[in-house]
Parts: sequence; C-alpha cells; structure tokens
Amino acid sequence: MSRRVRASLLAPLVLFLASCAKDAPLDSLDPAGPRAKSIDDLQNPVFAIAGVVFLAVNLGVLFLAWKFKRRKDDHTLPHQTHGNTKLELGWTILPALLLAGIGGASVLTLLDLEEKPDDSMQVTVVGQQWWWEYQYDVDGDGETDITTANDLVIPAGRNIDLDIESRDVIHSFWIPRLNGKRDAVPGRSHPLQMSADEPGVYRGQCTEFCGLSHGYMRMRVVALEPSEFEAWQDAQLDGAEMPTDELALEGREIFRTTCSSCHLVEGEGGNEDLFEGSAQVSGAAPNLTHFMSRGTFAGAVFDLWTDIDGNGEVDIDEHGDTLNEAQLKAWLRDPPAEKPMYAPTRGMPNLELSEAQIDALVAYLETLE
Amino acid sequence: MGIFGRPRAKTGWTSWITTVDHKRIGIMYGAAALFFFCIGGLQALLIRAQLAAPGQKLFSADLYNQIFTMHGVTMIFLVVMPLGAAFMNYLIPIQIGARDVAFPRLNALSFWTFLFGGIFLNTSWIFGGGADGGWFAYAPNTGVAFSPSHGMDFYALGVQITGIASLVGAVNLITTVLNMRAPGMTLMKMPVFTWMSLVTQVLLLFSLPVISVALFLLTFDRLFDANFFNVAEGADPLLWQHLFWIFGHPEVYILVLPGFGIVSEIIPVFARKPIFGYPFMVFSGIAIGFMGFGVWAHHMFASGLGPISVAAFSISTMFIAVPTGVKILNWMATMWGGKLTFTAPMLWAIGLVTMFTIGGLSGVSHAVAPADTQQTDTYYIVAHFHYVIFGGALFAFFGGFYFWWPKVFGHFLDETLGKVHFWITLVGFNLTFGPMHILGLQGMSRRIPTYRDGYGFNLWNMVSTIGAFTIAIAMLVFAWNIVRSYRRRNTLPKPGPDPWDGRSLEWSIPSPTPEHNFDDEPVITQFDDWWYRKYEENDDGELVKVNEPEDIAMIGDGSRAHLPSPSYWPFVLALGLPFIGWGLIFNMFITAFGGALVLAGFVGWALEPADDPDLPPHGHDDHGTADDPNGDAAALDAPATEEEVTVGG
Repeated sequence: MSRRVRASLLAPLVLFLASCAKDAPLDSLDPAGPRAKSIDDLQNPVFAIAGVVFLAVNLGVLFLAWKFKRRKDDHTLPHQTHGNTKLELGWTILPALLLAGIGGASVLTLLDLEEKPDDSMQVTVVGQQWWWEYQYDVDGDGETDITTANDLVIPAGRNIDLDIESRDVIHSFWIPRLNGKRDAVPGRSHPLQMSADEPGVYRGQCTEFCGLSHGYMRMRVVALEPSEFEAWQDAQLDGAEMPTDELALEGREIFRTTCSSCHLVEGEGGNEDLFEGSAQVSGAAPNLTHFMSRGTFAGAVFDLWTDIDGNGEVDIDEHGDTLNEAQLKAWLRDPPAEKPMYAPTRGMPNLELSEAQIDALVAYLETLE
Repeated sequence: MGIFGRPRAKTGWTSWITTVDHKRIGIMYGAAALFFFCIGGLQALLIRAQLAAPGQKLFSADLYNQIFTMHGVTMIFLVVMPLGAAFMNYLIPIQIGARDVAFPRLNALSFWTFLFGGIFLNTSWIFGGGADGGWFAYAPNTGVAFSPSHGMDFYALGVQITGIASLVGAVNLITTVLNMRAPGMTLMKMPVFTWMSLVTQVLLLFSLPVISVALFLLTFDRLFDANFFNVAEGADPLLWQHLFWIFGHPEVYILVLPGFGIVSEIIPVFARKPIFGYPFMVFSGIAIGFMGFGVWAHHMFASGLGPISVAAFSISTMFIAVPTGVKILNWMATMWGGKLTFTAPMLWAIGLVTMFTIGGLSGVSHAVAPADTQQTDTYYIVAHFHYVIFGGALFAFFGGFYFWWPKVFGHFLDETLGKVHFWITLVGFNLTFGPMHILGLQGMSRRIPTYRDGYGFNLWNMVSTIGAFTIAIAMLVFAWNIVRSYRRRNTLPKPGPDPWDGRSLEWSIPSPTPEHNFDDEPVITQFDDWWYRKYEENDDGELVKVNEPEDIAMIGDGSRAHLPSPSYWPFVLALGLPFIGWGLIFNMFITAFGGALVLAGFVGWALEPADDPDLPPHGHDDHGTADDPNGDAAALDAPATEEEVTVGG
C-alpha cells in the first residue's frame, strides 16, 4: 500500500484513538462540563464531515492518478474539456449551503455559551506575569472577600460566571475540559461561563503568548461538592492565626521583613500592618493567607502536596497530607532557577535565604492553612 | 558625467547589483529566499529538538522565544513572500508577452529593499537578541516595558522595510499586468498564474498600508515614548490585533495565491488538457481576494470581541472556504479524463491539492467559532497553517522550481532526485505536522518552550521531531539536485523552448529566456494561445499537432530590442534603509547617514539619463541618438518605451 494511502487512512484512526488517551488532563475532546460538551457536540459532526471530504479528495486524487495515468507510448491528446458550468455551479452552491448550515449551528452554540443561569457564582480571574489570581466577592457588596491564586476552587454542578482580566500583558484563561478559552486583556474584562459536572481537578494552561514564562503559567480548577465548597469558602474568609510554634514564629518574622514587599497574608498571623502593595510591575503577587489550602504553587507549575494515590493529580483530599517540601524549599532557595522570570519586578527574586531561614519560613507557611 | 551615467556591465557582480532585468531580479529573489529558508529551517529544527521530549532545557526560555518568533517572521516575510515574488517577477512579463515590467528600476528597488530588510532583521541576533514577541507581536507584550531588548525594534523596522519592498512591487506588477499585455490578450485570456498574481498584488496594495501603520505605532511607542498601546494611558490592546489581522488575513492569501496559480499551470500541462473551468478559477481567485478582507477577526475569536462580532466573522469565514474548495475540485476535474504524467512538478502540484485540502478542512473547523475557542493558540492551529503554507504555497513553489528551471537556467533539474525530494518531503511533512492536530486538541498550547510529562504530549512531539529532520534530509536532496544539475548542465540534453509541451507564452521563447524575452510582440487570439499554435482541430474535431515548438518559437537575437537600462540607484536607495533603522535604534547620526543614502538614491534616480548617451542609436523606435539622447526629436510621434498597446479589457 503506497505511503500516501497509509498516511491517509492512519490519520483519522489516530485522531480517534487519541481522544481516548488516559493521561491527557488538557484534552479538549474529553469534556467534563456542559459548555465543553456543547462545543464537542458541535465540532464532532464537523470533524466527521471534514473526514469524509478528506477521504473523498485524497482517495479521489489517488483514483484519478491510477485511472488516468498516461499509458506508455500513448501520445494522443485526451478530450480537451474546458469545463462544465452546471457542475461547477453545483459544487459552488452545495458546499456554500453546507457551510451556511454549519455556520448557523455555530452561531446558535455561540449564543448558548454566553447564557448565564441565575444561580451563577461570580469570580474575577486576573492574569499577570506569570500566574493567575482569583477574587471572590462572597457577600456581593462589590468588595473582594477572598483572594487566592493558582487553584480556582468552585462548587461542582453550578455555573461560574468568570470575569477575566489582566494586570499587564495579554494572557488567556483556558481549562479545556470545561470550556474554550478567553483572553485576559489589560484594561478590559471578558466574561466566560464555566461549570464542572463532577467534583475533580481540571487543569489549564495560559494560552496567549505572554513573554518569558508563558509556558510555565498554568492553573487548575478544583471543583468541590457544594457542601465542601461552603466549608472551603468559610475557611478562606478567616485571616491567618498567630502561630504558636517557635520555628513558625521565626518564619513569620522573616516573612514580615523579607516578603512583605510583594506578598500579603491577612489576619493576625500575617503582615497586613506592613503590606503596602506589591513591588511587582503588575502590582500583585500571590496572596498567601491560605497557601496550604492550595494544591500547586509558583503559577501552578509545582505541586504543593504529594500525589499519594498516583493518579497524576494532587486531589483535594491529598491537600494537607504530605508536603512537597523539597520543591517548596528549592523554590524559596532560588526562584529564578526553578522558573524563568525577570526578577525582581516581574517575578520572585533570589532572596539569598540561608537554609535555617528557609526551614523557618516553611514552618510558618505550613501554618497558613 | 561620472556616477550619473548608466552602468554598462553585462557580466560579473556589478551587473547583478545594477540589473533591472525582471528575470535576474526574479532569480535573486529566489536565491535570497532559499538562503533565508535555510535559516528559518534551522530555527524549526531547533524548536523541534527542544520539544522532542518533555522537560528539556536545550536552551533558555528567552532564547526559545526568540527562535520561534524569528522562525515565523523569516518563513513568512523572508521565504514564502519572496519566493512568490521570484516566480511573479520572472513569469509575469513572459506570460503576457512583455519585455519587462512597467517600472524596471522600481523592481530592482523592491528586491534590494527586501534583501536589506531581511539582513537588517537578522542583525538583531548580534545586537542583543532576535525578536521575541511572536510573529504577530501582540501589544502590550511587545512594548518596551515587557520586551526591553532591541529584538522587537528590529522586528518593527525590519518588517516595515520589507513591507516597502512588497508595496512598491505591487504598484509595479499591477501596472504591468493592466498595461503591458500583448495585443489580443484580454484579461480573460491571461494565464491563471498571471491572474492569481494580479489578485495577490492587489491584496498587497491594500493590506500593507495597514500593517505599516501598526508598525509605525509600535515603533513610536517603543522608540519615542508614544502611548498607542499603553493601557495605563487608556489604550486598548485590541487595536494592535485588529490592525495586524486586517493585514494578516489577506497576507495568508498573498502567501498561497501564487502557488494556486503555479499549480493551475502545471496540472493542465501534465494532464494534457486545459484547466477545468477557467472562469471559475479566475473568479474564485478574485472572490478570495475580496472576501479575504472580511474575515480578519477570526484570529480573534477568544480575544473578547463579544458574541455578535464573533458570529459575524464566523459566518464570513465559513464562506471563504467556498472559492477555495472550488479550486480543489477544478484541479481534480482537470486531472479527470486527462493523460497524466507524474513528473516532479506534477507530483508537487498533486501534493498541494491533497495537503492544502487537509489544511483547508482544519481551517473550516476553526471557522466554527465555539470550537475555535478550544483550538486557537494550540498546536491544532500550528498544524493548520503549516498544512496550508507549507503543503500549499511551498509545495507549489517546489513544483514551480522543477517546472520552470529549464526555462530560467537552460538545463533541467534531475527528475529522479526531484521525485526523491518530493516523497521524502511528503512523508516528513505529514509526520511533522499531522500529529500536531492531535497535540492541539489534547491541550498543547503554542509557544511553550517545554511541556510536562504526563499530559499525553510525549509520543506525538517525538514523531513530529523525527518528521522535521526528515524534511531537512529532503531539502538536502534538493540542494544536491541544484548543485549536481548545474555541474552537469553541459552534458545533459538541452530543454529547448518547450520541454514540457506547455500551454502558455513563456514556452514560445528559448531556454534559458533570452535577455530581450520576445523578438516581436506576440499577438494573442485566445487563452492558451501557444498551445493552439502547436495543435489544431482536424476534420474529426480532434486536436492534432501541426507545428513543432522549435519551428514556431521566437528564436531571434534580440538585436532590435530596446531594453530598460541598468541603474545603480535602486541599490543605493535601498541600502540607506537599514541604516535608518539602525540609527533609530542606536544613534541618530546613523539614521542621518542612511537618510543621505536614500536621498542620494532619489536624486541619482531622478536625474540619470533614460539611456546611456554613449550607446549607438538603436531599434526601430529611434527615440535616441548620440546627439539627442532622450529622443526629444522623436518623442512626439514615437512612444518613449515600446510597451503601449492595451487591447480591450
């Protein structure tokens, strides 16, 4: 079988198999929410039609090549057909009608995706180089009550009305299994609706080139059972408590002197009294008040906890179990070595901490649950 | 008169620097483009080496960003566009029966401007790093705050300079096609390649000013503290995107239409029957041109335009697939009922029909706007555009090389090596870009220097890398073919004027094309006129050969031809431009020097005599003598140049 035939037949088969890949957390062909599903439902027939056309043209060309190959020593001319107006009109109009149909279906799905159910929960998503921040206004008074980073925690089964913004350059927020992407453009706010059918972890990747660490700007959506989400939310509303452990208190001091130029920890145990805004060009660094409640850090590039059950994901019930201490310490030791950044104004710098200081800091961070 | 006289050299490197001969300019475009193809190709191999396995760190993220940006900029602006220019420059005059283009010195200016612009852009590597903002350079990331190195300055000024080359070329070629066709060649009797080239030039004419504006805004922001894209001062970054893509979308048709034209020349010749549906082929090309200006925001479906704009552009994008699809079907219908010979050019042409279809189909899937919000900025898009640009434009150009090489150089490229080149490329190309469809749908973003293990990306990235190196091997075969064929050129059989039994006018003159092109203006009576001089209908209504090409080809010595004179000034003028660029970035004195060169170029150009006054009076035009070099005496009743007659539409 000629190579071209083999390649032509293999591609659709492979595409099909790929959609069944197990370890594909960003698989857009494996929807886990109604909007990703409606996109999938729209594009599958389009892919099927495309597959048919692909086979028709490729097999057609192979057929033509075989059937009309000039026989050796045949030097006569073939019939000099100039065209066939009816046929050409036909193959202009028919595809146009087909495409009009696909276009119509596209527009309907498009409008559908904009729909915002009444019980939607609003979260503001803010992108900056090179991490994502989430702002929740729990009581609806126009003031942000919870500020988190990296993991966007939501209740499963409920629509989340995201307002996507940026503090510096254009980024793009994309959780493939839940919905298409939306760009985060500075000076603008873009809505995106998203919901997860089931509790679980859904990964994402920044998908608009945003500079040096674009490839290291990731995020996760963590969908919880509604009751668990309520509990999470309540915990997030409290400030950090004063640590009791001596090492942690030492770490708190180091945090207050060294980290207050960028990071905020709210509450008694934090640095609210010292914090005057972040020295970053973007104007923000991750709020660390409940750092330990997250599953990832450093722009969701590193897992904060160990994946105990080995399913490839740090699930919510693994938070608080086994800390990924080595990675966290490596980060504190020399952040630019772990992730490309333009420290100190666009990314976390190497603060030249001693090992003792790092140990103390980690002890403190561990109290920020 | 010293330097203000016209140069006289006919051979040697001076003759190439001062040439205004469209054929030499076409060859130089082709050679320069192939040189830049090696650079862009090397950048591609570096990208693929880095992405072959997860977590690799062959180079820093910063360098990676420069490499992928320069790969894109090089391939689009310094390879595919100039390859198109090479073919259009060489072929348009000889397909329409003209001596040269309307403005020969302007033609030379286009080439040198492109070359110096491309060199200028690549000097970024030695001045702090290549451009690193992606080839479409979204603001505000490309502003000075977020891209502080000079890379993006080189981008903005370099693309601006090469844009001048194309814009000037557009004016030239449009005028040429509209004004300089041989008598009897109405627009609807022109070869399809000439038609597609005309549409391409009109697209350039209208789209380049837009990117010019965008690049000026970016340059002023970066170098002179303007605030066009400064969000803190109230700018909307989407302005850049709109301006860029209003150019950027027509640009992709600029990239592929010449290739469509080439394929429309090759398939009929090797099927031995006319292009199926000439009017539809012409009108679909025109339709693509028009509609190309109405779809730009399909590059912005995730940019936050809002559902109404997205819906409108989704629909318009659906419809632009129609004229493109028509062409595929017409090419297949040309093959139907033909007597097909699978020469190297024919293989490449058929390759385009199949590979471009794949790219077109993924394109239709992008038009489904909701689906595009999953696909955009992923490797699925990378797959799409490589299938249409590489599998479309580049495949056509390779076919064109094998088809017209004998006409241009007077010897064939080796057929067997050509077929090897094709098959290895076809396999390598599909191995490289086929898997990217899957990678994109599985969530791999574009422009990431590495990816995590455990995302399902490993296998297909490795396959893709193997494919890329396979393409590289195929290109080495091509290079070897060029060298070997050149070395053996005197031992190979001569192609003669019409080695392929062609249909259009360029096959009616000797190979290699003589400097003067045609002895006399050919008179055209129909489309594929040359073919019908060789073949006539007999009493049974069948076409039979009545003339051999060698007997009726125009094989004269050109002594009666009046050719446009060579000139130094296009080279000088173009040379000033990169200095203006370097000066704007580093030191205004350098700009002044560049400006002086440009000014000298203008003045010299304007003041140089129409012809060298020391040459003897020539030709039946009789417009110049030693005493009356500008032919003022004869000017009233003889045209100063001979291209004059426009017949009909």
